Amino acid sequence: MTAIQAAIHAEDLRKSYGGFEAVRGVSLQVSQGEVLALLGRNGAGKTTTIELLAGFRRPDSGRVRVLGLDPAAEPARVRRRIGVMLQEAGFFPDLTVAQTVESWCAFTPAARPAHEALELAGLLPKAATRVRGLSGGERRRLDLALAVLGRPEVLFLDEPTAGMDPEGRRDTWQVVRELAGAGTAVVLTTHYLDEAQQLAGSLVIMDAGRVVAAGGMAETLAAGSGRVSFEAPPGLGPGDLPLPAAVEGGRVVCRVEDPDLAAQTLLGWAAARGLRLRGLEVRRASLEELFLEVGADAGIADGQRGEGARHGA
Amino acid sequence: MRGSRMDSAGRELGMVRELVAVARLGGRVYWRDRVTLGVSVALSLLLGIGMPVLMARLGVPGVAELHVGLLAMLMTLTAFGQGATVLAARRDQLLLKRMRATGLTDAAVLGGEVVNVAAQSLLISCAIAAALSLLGAVPPPANPALFALVMAAGALAQAVLGAAYTPAISRAEVASVMTMPFFLLTGVGAGGFGPLRQALPAWAGQVLDWVPGVVVGRALAVAYAGGPVSGYILPAVQLALWTAAGLAAVRLWFRWDPRR
Repeated sequence: MTAIQAAIHAEDLRKSYGGFEAVRGVSLQVSQGEVLALLGRNGAGKTTTIELLAGFRRPDSGRVRVLGLDPAAEPARVRRRIGVMLQEAGFFPDLTVAQTVESWCAFTPAARPAHEALELAGLLPKAATRVRGLSGGERRRLDLALAVLGRPEVLFLDEPTAGMDPEGRRDTWQVVRELAGAGTAVVLTTHYLDEAQQLAGSLVIMDAGRVVAAGGMAETLAAGSGRVSFEAPPGLGPGDLPLPAAVEGGRVVCRVEDPDLAAQTLLGWAAARGLRLRGLEVRRASLEELFLEVGADAGIADGQRGEGARHGA
Repeated sequence: MRGSRMDSAGRELGMVRELVAVARLGGRVYWRDRVTLGVSVALSLLLGIGMPVLMARLGVPGVAELHVGLLAMLMTLTAFGQGATVLAARRDQLLLKRMRATGLTDAAVLGGEVVNVAAQSLLISCAIAAALSLLGAVPPPANPALFALVMAAGALAQAVLGAAYTPAISRAEVASVMTMPFFLLTGVGAGGFGPLRQALPAWAGQVLDWVPGVVVGRALAVAYAGGPVSGYILPAVQLALWTAAGLAAVRLWFRWDPRR
């Protein structure tokens, strides 16, 4: 994929605040219609990365192109074609939901009709409610309505479902899927790993300002370790099994790269001995397991995580 | 060549349209904010109309001078003070950031807010001047159109300076306190508190003559009395210098994000 084809192309981005390096050499690409999950703990540098990509901050070094344009040099031109759902941003509390969206229509070129944006975000029943009367989840829905108002070609979603109820989350996921299906490139940061796994086709995991893992979601998960577990048979220890295993909470657990093959091996071994493996479970690595695994490795390598969190990067 | 000129004209038109949209939103919010209505609107109208009417009823001389001085002082409150307070609050509440997340240019966001504050200040000032003329407390200005033009220029310059002052305001809660000295200095220098200035040494008067609100007051006094054109030159130059300094300060130091 070339820089011209990619909706977002970032190379070796760096950004420091004072002496603190919030982003250290981040590179990523997102094509049209792709959803990229940008993951990491608090202070990993996700929000700063999004702010660099959306042109809110100028990188100290490195190169960014969004839809072929430099967002730091031409912020307004870029933002006319993108949507941004910021992690934190205020509203005018005395305006109603409908008045807020209508006001933003005047700021947005070729905006959707206000009622369409409200319907998309599930806020039509709240149209006449003052913003100060909305719950946290409803405010996030209003955030979403404003972010998608201009039918963006690129959408940045910084923790879009934080504070939403399960229905709100599902609705938001549906909106993201529809936009991606229509060709919008989406960059999503979230602490809900199931959300990332549901929506994203690719992922970047950041820690202390660096990319510590990246790739396609399916390939990355497949490359992570899986797990086969079953109830510990009486009189049998982990050392008796044909694969390395441990006993955890009364269950024998084997962590392996290919859990299907491991399950076949174990079943063959058990059949040959007339044993039954009760409660057999075969699981591929979840994103959460992968995230914790990668984060633990990075945490050992770098002791600056606490500093990053303090700077809210 | 012609195409690029048309592109440039189109961009400028788009910028004006955006600026007006921001100003309209600012106006909508302004008239719904009870604190603003209380502090900026009600206080200004009460003081700006009530004080000269009271003085006129008591037969105190110099009511017209008091009126012009009060106008300059209240424009410092409604344009400079309100501009600094509104922009510091928008910055701290991350509303500026939200507006920048749209396709609006930075100039349209800031320009729209400044134009709205200046327009509200002008509206209040015109209401005060009109009410006093109607009530017969002071004679109408010699040239009402010119007087209104000077009020508009003064309000705009003060609103720009309010925006330029926001980097010095660490958080929105202290904005009123931090703009208060300029209100008081204008009151003394322009005569809003009466002839206090006469009690000051000459050098203090010369220093006060450079306070932006006092400059506006002198321009208003010339326009109110309707003197010769030469009388406008010094205050016009001073006002232009202050406006240019305000715009340069905004360009160099304006902060879009709160201090973290």
